[in-house]
Amino acid sequence: MTQVLETTALTKRFGKRLALDAIDLRVEQGTVFGLIGPNGAGKTTTMRLLLDIIRPTSGSIRVLGEDPKVGGAPLRRRIGFLPGELRLEGRVTGRVLLRHYAQISGTVASGTPELLAERLDLDLSRQVRTLSKGNKQKLGVVQAFMHTPALLVLDEPTSGLDPLVQQEFLTMVREARDNGQTVLLSSHVLSEIQQAADAVAILRAGRVVTVSDVESLRASAVRHVAVTVADAPAEALRAAFAGDPRLASLTVAGGERASASGVLEGDINPFIRALAAFTVVDLRVEEPDLEEAVLGLYAKQV
Amino acid sequence: MPLTATFPLPLFRRALGDSWRSLAGWSAGFLAALLLYVPLYRSIGGNADMSELLDSLPPALINALNYGAIATGPGYVSATFYGLMGFALITIAATMWSSAAIAGDEEVGSLELTLAHGVTRTQVVLERAAAIAVRLLWLNVLSVLVILALNDSAGLDIAPANLVAQGAALLGLALVTSMVGIAVGALTGRRVFATGAAAGVAVVGYALNAVANQSADLDGLHAWSPYAWAFGNSPLVNGADWGGLGLLYGVAVALLVVGVIALNRRDVTG
Repeated sequence: MTQVLETTALTKRFGKRLALDAIDLRVEQGTVFGLIGPNGAGKTTTMRLLLDIIRPTSGSIRVLGEDPKVGGAPLRRRIGFLPGELRLEGRVTGRVLLRHYAQISGTVASGTPELLAERLDLDLSRQVRTLSKGNKQKLGVVQAFMHTPALLVLDEPTSGLDPLVQQEFLTMVREARDNGQTVLLSSHVLSEIQQAADAVAILRAGRVVTVSDVESLRASAVRHVAVTVADAPAEALRAAFAGDPRLASLTVAGGERASASGVLEGDINPFIRALAAFTVVDLRVEEPDLEEAVLGLYAKQV
Repeated sequence: MPLTATFPLPLFRRALGDSWRSLAGWSAGFLAALLLYVPLYRSIGGNADMSELLDSLPPALINALNYGAIATGPGYVSATFYGLMGFALITIAATMWSSAAIAGDEEVGSLELTLAHGVTRTQVVLERAAAIAVRLLWLNVLSVLVILALNDSAGLDIAPANLVAQGAALLGLALVTSMVGIAVGALTGRRVFATGAAAGVAVVGYALNAVANQSADLDGLHAWSPYAWAFGNSPLVNGADWGGLGLLYGVAVALLVVGVIALNRRDVTG
């Protein structure tokens, strides 16, 4: 597959502060790649480097096959960018502002901005300065998508959007991917990555903690399990899960049917094998959400 | 929305489009200042009582204000409008516009979004500087036209060619001020520095000129004052001062080049 984005030992210092520490990222064409991490992890810094808004201290960047500084304006026409802290002002209407950005972007198909605005429920006839934060964010999303760029770089795209609009936005992201476009998006709200991203890089304090596809991140994560068995004392259940497989925070309730619930770390197979000795009446395994998976990774790093 | 066509100078046109209200306000201010000062020539500059009053004032004050030639029409307009009120107004406009163009835009966070599009940093600086230059040019054209219109009725007896030379001098002075704001804004990204530097250069230039007017010993200070480059040889009285104009426009262009290079070399922060 073609690499749309590649960074090698990408490092950025702001004075003494090391914002990015030798980041290696690879994003393939036609995928949605998520950058997640807490504030200050380096997500925004990475994105600004891709757009040549700031320049790396060391290391290299290839965006759509080019160094952003060398590629310059023609390269940026092929990128749609939504800044993390979008501040739009002005006495002009949304329509006029979009027309301006269209003039300094790649080619915008006639009617596309209106179509996108309609999907996001955005009124383009209102003055930009009178728009709410959420509506300004929608305007930012429209200007990033409207020229159908090969690469979309979206910094905290769903911030300020209400849940319905978030869903529509995620649909737009998936459509862009299906269209062969590549999407890089960042968030500290992990659920939005979970739904949209094919792969994620977890950033922490300027380093990549892990790069993984969402599935294996989920697989490596903890699961909530609850099991009820018949014809066995509670002690037998406790004994079965005290060693290997280990259930963290195991609670066992006795009675006619003994129940156990807890948090399972790692591979699920030993747990199923251990259960085979019992008459299982009920079993629930809850799919982990990425939030817990990621928090687990953070916890290991600390 | 016909968006697909490409138009030349998108940033220049947006800068002008966004600022037409501001420009209308400044135009009204210039008009008010001109209509206040110029028609009063007969009752102030050309008035015998006024001459007596001026004679009674300390010569140092007269020299500082360039009021020595106030008894003639060109001297009067030069001292009152161009030397003082017009200079002050255009300095404020040039300072505000130029500090907003790069540093102000960067501080509010919208420069980042513009630079993420298909424009070069050189283009951003040049188109925005051009938009400021056009607005400053307009204010000077307006002033020249109003003074010409009042020339006969106010009895000023100003030669139109000299008036154009004087306008070109004020424009050059304002360009120097605004290009200081652009250059310092591009260097630092801080609006307060850009504002301080632009206004500072204008004010220090004025003060140096006023001090240098006091004695022949201090005459060398004129060389360091953009204000003196513009008005030192009284173009409204004596005609175009090509050396002074060359210095003003040359320095303005040099500052613009500094701004272009500076913005190209540094990180833009949101």
